[in-house]
Amino acid sequence: MSYWFRLGTLLLVVPILTTGCSKKEEAKTPAPTEKSAPSVETAKPVPAQAETPKTPSLEPFTPPPLSEVDAKAEWIDGPIVDSLDRLTKYLAEHPPIATIEEVSSLRNDSKEANEKILSAYSQQPKAPGDVNWNATWNRCIQGDINSVNPVLISSTSDFDFQGATSVGLIGFDWEMRPFAASEIVKSWQTSKDRLVDKFVLRDDLTWSDGKPVTAHDIAFSFQVIMDDNVPIRAVRSGTDELRWVHAYDDHTVVFFHKAAAATNVWNISFPILPKHIFETSYKSDPSLVTSKEHVAFESKPVVSGSYEVASRKAQNEIVLKRRESYYMHNGKEVRDKPYFETIRFRVVTDSNTALLGLKSGDVDEMTLSAEQWRQQTNGEDFYKKNTKIRDVEWTSFHVIWNMKSDKAPFFSDLKVRQAMSYAVDYDELLKKILYDLYEPCAGPFYKGAWMAPKDYPSPYKQDLDKAEELLDAAGWKDSDGDGIRDKDGKVFEFSLLYRSDPLLERYCNVIRESLDKIGVRCNLSPLEFTVLQQRLNEHQFDAAFGGWGSGADPFTTKNIYGTGEGRNYGSYSNPEVDKLFREAELEFDREKRGEIYGKIHLILYADQPYTWLYWRTAFYGINKDLRGYFMSPRGPYHYGPGSSAIWRAQ
Amino acid sequence: MNTQQQPVRTLKRVPRSPGYWQDVWRRFRRKLFPMLGLAFIGFLVIVAVFAPAIAGTKPVVCEYKGTLYFPALGYLNTTWENPIFRVDKFRGVYPENLTKNDPKAWAVWPLVYQDPYRRVRANEWPGLPAAEPLMPPDRYHLFGTDPAGVDVFAKMVHGTRTALVVGFISMGIAAIIGITLGAIAGYFGGWIDSLVSRLIEVVMCIPTLILILALIAVVERPTIWHMMAIIGFTGWTGIARLTRGEFLRLRNTEFVLAAISLGIRRPTIIFRHVLPNAMAPVLVPITFGIAAAILIEASLSFLGFGAPPPNPSWGTILDAGRANLSKWWLVTFPGVAILFTVLSYNLVGEGLQEATDPRLRDGRA
Repeated sequence: MSYWFRLGTLLLVVPILTTGCSKKEEAKTPAPTEKSAPSVETAKPVPAQAETPKTPSLEPFTPPPLSEVDAKAEWIDGPIVDSLDRLTKYLAEHPPIATIEEVSSLRNDSKEANEKILSAYSQQPKAPGDVNWNATWNRCIQGDINSVNPVLISSTSDFDFQGATSVGLIGFDWEMRPFAASEIVKSWQTSKDRLVDKFVLRDDLTWSDGKPVTAHDIAFSFQVIMDDNVPIRAVRSGTDELRWVHAYDDHTVVFFHKAAAATNVWNISFPILPKHIFETSYKSDPSLVTSKEHVAFESKPVVSGSYEVASRKAQNEIVLKRRESYYMHNGKEVRDKPYFETIRFRVVTDSNTALLGLKSGDVDEMTLSAEQWRQQTNGEDFYKKNTKIRDVEWTSFHVIWNMKSDKAPFFSDLKVRQAMSYAVDYDELLKKILYDLYEPCAGPFYKGAWMAPKDYPSPYKQDLDKAEELLDAAGWKDSDGDGIRDKDGKVFEFSLLYRSDPLLERYCNVIRESLDKIGVRCNLSPLEFTVLQQRLNEHQFDAAFGGWGSGADPFTTKNIYGTGEGRNYGSYSNPEVDKLFREAELEFDREKRGEIYGKIHLILYADQPYTWLYWRTAFYGINKDLRGYFMSPRGPYHYGPGSSAIWRAQ
Repeated sequence: MNTQQQPVRTLKRVPRSPGYWQDVWRRFRRKLFPMLGLAFIGFLVIVAVFAPAIAGTKPVVCEYKGTLYFPALGYLNTTWENPIFRVDKFRGVYPENLTKNDPKAWAVWPLVYQDPYRRVRANEWPGLPAAEPLMPPDRYHLFGTDPAGVDVFAKMVHGTRTALVVGFISMGIAAIIGITLGAIAGYFGGWIDSLVSRLIEVVMCIPTLILILALIAVVERPTIWHMMAIIGFTGWTGIARLTRGEFLRLRNTEFVLAAISLGIRRPTIIFRHVLPNAMAPVLVPITFGIAAAILIEASLSFLGFGAPPPNPSWGTILDAGRANLSKWWLVTFPGVAILFTVLSYNLVGEGLQEATDPRLRDGRA
């Protein structure tokens, strides 16, 4: 609903392909001094800052010969996984609790019904004959894609599109365990000091124009992503943690890391460009979209993934067709055959229109709003062709308390923050406003997740007496009899910022009403999204309503709770937490890392830098012919195998 | 010499001829629709003033622990609600807490026990069921409930205040500026007139709605008062022009010349002698202006930029209706209220125009 997607972008499971960069290109990269020279020469007075040479994001690096790397490394093998295969095995070990026949007439009106439907519709085909191999999958996206170019992705639509048309080295499964994708990787080795990763690629994958996908494509893509002239939107974060990427031959690519960290694996998964297309053109047109060649690429992109673009109508639809050269090589089937012959992305901006399309069968699936789930999808008109499923996502919503606000110096006091958390009417929020469809939240990590503590804390419950006691103890009393608490002449009145939206307004109004009862005045302040974002970045707020989506790995939360970190809007600081975050990054054992993050969770819960409110539930309406909706904490699409696990029954 | 005094001739008392305003009122009174409009506005004023006594969850009057209180005043200004109720942990729920803490307490309740700011929970009031989101109108919720379960009737009643206040305050500001500047320009003429006329033209070019949107982005906590100030400070031009025209006309009439020749001070002439005679036509743009201000407030609220939540406003209810099109009561009641209010002001304005403008009134009478 608000800024949750930013975390999500970091670690998308976009499977993507690649090529490397040759020595020639490295030589072409301009040296820093050359870049800054013009600004010094300009006649106009230039501010002092502009005169200092701007350091390019990528510093030059000379990779050692492969023999030297091999000699030093003491390689440890990494897992190579066929994600669909892993899912199929998992499902075989966990038989469904209901069959399609049993749930076909079932209405999703209770938790039990939902679990049955989820289970039945998550299954993979028992035999190839179950699948309708000539099927079309009509998906809808809320906005048109920005670009077909994989390095320019930023919106959810872009990610959905890339998920079908590209492959990547690293993926992760529904438990967020990273692995090398067997579609493209033959072997993956990590050095013992964790500073180097070596991949050997398969030789049977080609681009859609027939050229082989090589290690040079990967190294080249790295250079493009790190080129400051290219307007990269999302994929530079993480990639910029890499020291260098080098292709030693057509199949061997080595990643050099800046530091030894458990999180290094996540930096490897950047999108891959076809080097033979962009090698010369990207220098003359760094925007990657305006020159003639690039415009041509936009309408007919060269892709590495299982589907290729058949046609594209801007703001209307994108039609993909199954790419035979992806799964067939020299007449042999070398990869899983994609389930659909055609995937059609329709651009439907209005969710009511999308729902009409779903009911009539023009659209096969859509994300429903809570209102639609509750009110518009219960009748025979919906269930005739469709069913619906819901699942909790690891996206939490909360109120951030600014501990360093000049105007509202209340929240630096732990007692006050606890009082706030005790004051909120969770029952009203969860049971009435959110229709009892969402789960209460008690900290940054979801209960039962590998990084959540074993002794998971229970969510706060409303206790107004306790809240008042805590405020009294903190010295906030109503000394002048105007009904609002005060202390040393300062009145307990603050603004709660939120993105201007009628739903969020209702949530915030519950908080306002709750605080009103204990003599705290909370003024609601709806803001436009970019203004809100700016105020948060500049720490110019008292309290704000927001949400965080979950990355695939908990290390991304350091950015939110670490002292002085970029998205630590509330200026929370606890040296113990900082220390644990560092410890966790250097710990390579997943279980031990989980314990460290569990400790962080408990400290955060005790400190209440946020008042955690609820976990978001995602709602989907799907056509009854579709199968394979297996839910991850990031929904049914954005993990491995994700959307490639979905199929249409005969 | 005849010393005998002539008997004083007794003068026959002539009925005083009606004054200008009386004449206007006499003519205005004859017209049905303007009178209906005026009656509706009067009705709205009554609703606005007595809103806390019509719909609310706080007693209008109550005796609690031996003292009389008026908690319903808290709806008008939160600090007017006595802090004793907060200290005694009432937390906004009066019926049960009053008798629990003081068995001898009594209270006079509003006509309808519903709150414009929050959902009424179960067991708050004997026999009153809890409000659920988006309930259709029934005998407990006369106009249904909104998506948060708040009673639409209570919101409408309390929103009347917003609608009226917006109209009166903004046009009050506009009238003060417009009449003063228009009077000065019209009376003095010359370069002062040119200066004021240019100023009017400049201000006329400012688009009010966009100025308000800009203000919302700049001011940290925009309130309805900011909005009224902007509507007022930009909406005075029509009033100023009419006042100026009237003053230009009246400046050379005999009674003004007489006043000048008697040496009466200029401000006295302007405001005591000329202004009352110039007022009638000026009232017309003011009434239309009030209607326009109500519409601006409602449309801003409809767009989500209006009175900051949780202030009840008719436009806000309409906005909720936009997202729930099948819930007719969210659109119908505030829509009809806005329609009738704006219509009433326009009818009154038109009636005034007909009653004051000699061309219109004599032609039709």
